[in-house]
Amino acid sequence: MMEKLYLIARIADTRVALRSRAINSVVTVGTPVEVPGAPPHVTGLFALRSRVFTLIDPHVVVGLPAVPVAPGQRVIVVDVAEHGYALLADEIEDVCFIDAPETRVAGKLLPGWARVADAMIEHRGASLLVVDPSHFITLPVLNAA
Amino acid sequence: MVKPRFLGRADTFMDDLLNDFLAETAEILAEAGGAIIAWEADPADRAQLDAIFRLVHTIKGSSGFLALPRVTALSHAAEDALDQVRRGNRQANAALVTGVLGIVDRLSDLCTALGQNGVEPAGDDRDVIGALAEPDSPGDAPFDVAGVPLRRDDDFQAELQSWRSIRVPLPLLDSVMTGVTDIVLARNEFARMLRESGADPSVIASFDRLSDSIAGMRQSVSQMRMQRIDKLFAPLPRIVRDLAQDMGKKIAFQTSGGEVELDREMMENIRDPLIHIVRNAIDHGVESLEDRVAAGKDITATISVSARQSGNQIEIEIRDDGRGLSPDALVAKAIASRAVTASEARALGPKEKLDLIFRPGFSTAAKITAVSGRGVGMDIVKANVEKIGGVVELRNDEGRGLTILLRVPMTLTIISGLMVRAAGQYFAIPRGAVREILLESGDTVRVDRVGGGELATVRGEQYPLLRLEAVLGCERDDSDDADDRALVIVRPGQGQSYALSVAAIHDHEELVIKPAAPMIMATGLYAGTTLPDNGRPVLLLDVQGLLAVAAVDATESGRSHDRMVEAEAQAAAARGAAQLLLFRDVGGRVRGVRLSVIERVEEVPASALFESAGRVQAQIGDDIFAVHTARLPDAQVTQKLLRLHDGHSVLCYPIAEVIDIVRLPDAVQPSAAPGLIAGIVLVGGDPVELIDPFWLMEQYAGGVATPSQREPLCRLADDHDGWGDNFLAPILRNAGYRVASGDEATDEAPDVLLCLTEDDGLCVHAAGEVPVIRLRTTIAAAGPEDETVYRYDRQALLDALRRRVGGERA
Repeated sequence: MMEKLYLIARIADTRVALRSRAINSVVTVGTPVEVPGAPPHVTGLFALRSRVFTLIDPHVVVGLPAVPVAPGQRVIVVDVAEHGYALLADEIEDVCFIDAPETRVAGKLLPGWARVADAMIEHRGASLLVVDPSHFITLPVLNAA
Repeated sequence: MVKPRFLGRADTFMDDLLNDFLAETAEILAEAGGAIIAWEADPADRAQLDAIFRLVHTIKGSSGFLALPRVTALSHAAEDALDQVRRGNRQANAALVTGVLGIVDRLSDLCTALGQNGVEPAGDDRDVIGALAEPDSPGDAPFDVAGVPLRRDDDFQAELQSWRSIRVPLPLLDSVMTGVTDIVLARNEFARMLRESGADPSVIASFDRLSDSIAGMRQSVSQMRMQRIDKLFAPLPRIVRDLAQDMGKKIAFQTSGGEVELDREMMENIRDPLIHIVRNAIDHGVESLEDRVAAGKDITATISVSARQSGNQIEIEIRDDGRGLSPDALVAKAIASRAVTASEARALGPKEKLDLIFRPGFSTAAKITAVSGRGVGMDIVKANVEKIGGVVELRNDEGRGLTILLRVPMTLTIISGLMVRAAGQYFAIPRGAVREILLESGDTVRVDRVGGGELATVRGEQYPLLRLEAVLGCERDDSDDADDRALVIVRPGQGQSYALSVAAIHDHEELVIKPAAPMIMATGLYAGTTLPDNGRPVLLLDVQGLLAVAAVDATESGRSHDRMVEAEAQAAAARGAAQLLLFRDVGGRVRGVRLSVIERVEEVPASALFESAGRVQAQIGDDIFAVHTARLPDAQVTQKLLRLHDGHSVLCYPIAEVIDIVRLPDAVQPSAAPGLIAGIVLVGGDPVELIDPFWLMEQYAGGVATPSQREPLCRLADDHDGWGDNFLAPILRNAGYRVASGDEATDEAPDVLLCLTEDDGLCVHAAGEVPVIRLRTTIAAAGPEDETVYRYDRQALLDALRRRVGGERA
């Protein structure tokens, strides 16, 4: 059952589906603490239940300009390699079961998206990209340059 | 050592039992190893024998229950042998001890395999069990008849004691720690709200009581992570025994201070360095038996490891009474292994010579041995200890022993931190690295902006100045009060220090440090993150990393005042002739240049300067020279020019006036990057920028018409050690000479011969009409007639060459 559960959200101006088992929780953040000298997709740090999380801006990862964090904005918390990260979400839509199978990505994606997208899935008459949140943590070399 | 692993599928009762067994056995085996060595040293020690017997017996009992036949058979064999000794039927000897240790090793291997696979691997243990059999008395074993081994009352003592403590999985401990930290954060938030709401004093009083008990709880939880350092010492006696036996050395090994407690994470981090140092002491430190006798020492060497707590630091001292370190041997070794150059080595003080053992790739053993020469060196030891905020100190008594002191913080996770502000946010600095805090506007501090860098002088001591905002690449926050700016004198490691300028100092706090995400650690600026009481994350600065990012050389050597007298005298002699011409440049700044590169000071009419091909030139007499200036000087009647001469070309440097000629000070703070300014020196308490003539000449080298005549040929003779090729030839080529080394046969007769040995007889090439320049290795000339040139006196050498080669170069 868990395999069919997806989080539908808009991140980096695109509606995507995230497999729920990859996700720790969805929370709201206040103003993050900046990390001078960090890569551009690191928006800052924030604390949640005495853990420090690194806030990632997916816009930068897919090649868009960074967006400022609005107080109370919702973030998707994920654990990658024993570190806690949070992806800034433009909007959290829904958590739902999708019975349709995941299909291979059809069509040409922008390079930024091609790297993070695993598959596509049909949901309520729209095709959504299935993305792996851990791909947002590392910045492609191209972007960093 | 067996590391108990918690099996992934530890859901069943049996797996739980197995995990408990493994954890317990790992502990017992570590303890048994030490106890057996102690017993071997004193076979009459009945208490030790009983202790070992009990340990082996416990393993046998538990393994029988878990149906582990190999473990049972092994522990049974060891128990049998020990029991015979207890009953007086067998003498304890080295063979027996080695046999028992063999069983202990096999048990360790089995437990490792058990932890990984969950089942006992198949195999044959007859070899180790057979090694235990008594060789000389095969038949007369009375216990064969007894059948049931007798248990004595004292067998049960250890089991009773184990009731006084329980085993708790580490993840549970960590989650308790996290929970308590959460409570502390919530308490702080609540306290703030209470204060703001103007609550009833009685409510505040009872809240304070709650607050106190939370603080107490946090303390206890931190203590739960502490372990006795005994655990770290446990494997050492075994290592010492085996190694000493292999190498034919006699060593008495002692430990003390085992009751000192240390965070379990710190323990993991110093285990390998400690073992490495002990191995080194046995392998390199302790002399062979003959050498010890010759040195009039006790044939049995002593190695002692002791721990003690001082403040929130733990000191671990590893002391041996071996040969100690020989600074001269270290230097020779370092030069041979190309860790330092010969000239660098000469400048080293005694302490710096010892520190050579921390250089990567350095090994003190004359030849690499199987024991310690395995590519893991003291550099790794130092790096590991420094990684956890510790220091390694050497106390050398040449010929009589070496003491190595490891000083590490008691816990890795909670450190005392200094909170500072920069660019509108807070950062933490480990308190241990902070030597002093000063207000930047204070009387004792002077900040000078020189050559694009900044320099802080505090009570006569110079420090490179780093502005935290600049290193982090941030803008300064306008709301910061300039009067609050403070200097933190930071000592990231031995022999290094710098001044870190921050917008303000906040306070001290006990901080729980967690590693930051990899991409944040990768910046090299931060050592971790922490959550202070206000609940906003704070980054812990990596005081060593900041230096690397700022590319500042913070070594104290060269600016420190406590350098040894002999080194000082030597260095002063080398600089005996070095004098500095102080002048005010056209911009009004005071600068200095080595007197030796100045040919003369010219005063030319302003009309003699003209611009040509985008460069300012000066006509002096019949010659035209390049002038180092971007534009023509403002209309004046005359212009003073320094004529710099490098033996090849002339460059003019416009100045306003000559101030003085002084001795070149000893301490030069070099610039970060090559440029017009070579560095900064203090003259009469004021910083002076030192002009780099080498750089300056380089800029104009192309602009001077090269004489078309052939370049004179210099022949290097008697260059036995390659010094001439490596050191001298590049300088000569730069100065416009061609170089042939002694061994190459050339048809062309050299214009000048450079003899690299002082001995007349050896310079076989000295013949005919060719002028000869002899180089000497000592600074001081042998006498007034001595025409030799000190080989590091570049200017004198070039002058001599110019004189010998003759008028064609003038």
